[in-house]
Amino acid sequence: MSADEEVEVYKPPPYQATTWGLLGSAAILVVVLMTVRLGQNPDTPRPGDLAPMPEDGALVLMDEPEMDDEYWPCSDCHDGEPTNFTVREMDDEHDEMPFDHGTTWCMDCHDVDDRDKLTLAGGTLVDFDETHELCGQCHGSKIGDWKSGVHGKRLGHWVGDAQYKPCVSCHNPHSPAFEGLEPKPPPLRPEQIVLPGAVAEAEEPAEEAPATEEGGDHE
Amino acid sequence: MSERNTSRREFLKVLGSGAACATAASAPTAALGFDLESFFQKHFRKLSDAELEEVLRRKEAEFEERFGVPFTVEATPAIEGVTFGYGLDVSRCIGCRRCVYACVDENNQSRDPQIHWIRVLEFEREAIIRGFNLEEGDPYYDHETVPAPGKVYLPTACMQCEGSPCTNVCPTGATWRSPDGIVVIDYDWCIGCRYCMAACPYGARHFNWTEPSIPQEELETDVHFLGNRPRHKGVVEKCHWCVHRTRKGEFPACHEACPVGARKFGNLLDPNSEIRRVMATKRTFVLKSELGTNPKFFYFLGGEERGGDIDYGGHGADHGDEAGEQEGGH
Repeated sequence: MSADEEVEVYKPPPYQATTWGLLGSAAILVVVLMTVRLGQNPDTPRPGDLAPMPEDGALVLMDEPEMDDEYWPCSDCHDGEPTNFTVREMDDEHDEMPFDHGTTWCMDCHDVDDRDKLTLAGGTLVDFDETHELCGQCHGSKIGDWKSGVHGKRLGHWVGDAQYKPCVSCHNPHSPAFEGLEPKPPPLRPEQIVLPGAVAEAEEPAEEAPATEEGGDHE
Repeated sequence: MSERNTSRREFLKVLGSGAACATAASAPTAALGFDLESFFQKHFRKLSDAELEEVLRRKEAEFEERFGVPFTVEATPAIEGVTFGYGLDVSRCIGCRRCVYACVDENNQSRDPQIHWIRVLEFEREAIIRGFNLEEGDPYYDHETVPAPGKVYLPTACMQCEGSPCTNVCPTGATWRSPDGIVVIDYDWCIGCRYCMAACPYGARHFNWTEPSIPQEELETDVHFLGNRPRHKGVVEKCHWCVHRTRKGEFPACHEACPVGARKFGNLLDPNSEIRRVMATKRTFVLKSELGTNPKFFYFLGGEERGGDIDYGGHGADHGDEAGEQEGGH
């Protein structure tokens, strides 16, 4: 028993040579494969397969929509007249305008003294092309999302100058909820799609059907 | 018997002339009925720059002959340092299908038989509390106006998975994930086995059962080799995030068509990109995340914020739409 043990201790394990041989040949194979890969580029992108990263640009606000000539400038009519602060239905002028913006009233946004300006809650006057300042007073998270590009729609390019539409391009400030749209037609169901080969197949059973009936008669 | 001999002789003659043409590397071999150069065309990723140029010009000639209008075929490479990501605001999509048809126009999808890469699924608002079960989604909804009350819409297309099952099963390597994350197809190497369609858990891949038909005036002639170039019968196709546009900095066609701005697109590796802001501030999810496909198409709910210290550029937290109601008493 002990002699056997000694033999096992002093003999180099028989698998060692094989292991080194395998490792060696694997290393050679790897080197060969790498050379081949470098030469032919079978999987890696070809030289020049990647274009350089374009530079990012500034944030650009697109133009506000044009004002309605029928009403603009407001001071044409609203000029020094006393302001009626009563919340009421517009049954004479502006009667065709939709008003559906919660409990807001004209003078929340339009300045009383300077009718061609808008007014922020603190009394700061803003022009009609800075409406987002006004909207952002109440819609704080929306303006934040809009400024970071999460709300609203970026135009042009995903890189370079970031062009954003202002709030009132999409939302009517007097009735800001989005109106519904007519959807484009639904996709065809699989059974509605006719393939040239399938026409013949579809007709075949119809022709065969009487034959089967005849067969049935015979029986 | 004699007839058979003649055809055999003709066949050999044709074979001889074909071999001659192959050695001379000349133009299409009319006698063979197919183009030898196309037949022996290398895989896209094994083409040298010179060979690629040759292939692109040959494709232009082929498309012009096939459709009767001039084509521009390019193969703009991926941009270094860019991994594309797509975001879609489920709370804002109204299901109008503008994206579906913009995609069809942009990408030369067959009109007859109809192929749509984008499929907009309609769900009951109550049902999605359990999550979006794609089997419950109805793509065939037809209302006079959308959004229909009580419904939620989920447009689906290729998710451009990082662990894409479709590319793993392709026996010819005809489809692979590009360095910018877009899963592309070399349609010339597709053999139409449809393994990828079986592997795709999102039903994003579509097969050309017949020669696709597109009215000549509706053809998009500015095409990318791996993207929107016209396909043949017997190959698989799918969304490629408008590789011909996005690799030039433009937005995909569906993004441009969206009337509500529900779609977000950008570079996932750029911390200031729209898509990264979405992921930082909104609840995002991917479809069938349990499969480990790691999609690069993220759905999110833009109507609500994740808590935490988000810098809104000095505008503070949301006092929201309720603020207007609370004021009252005007």
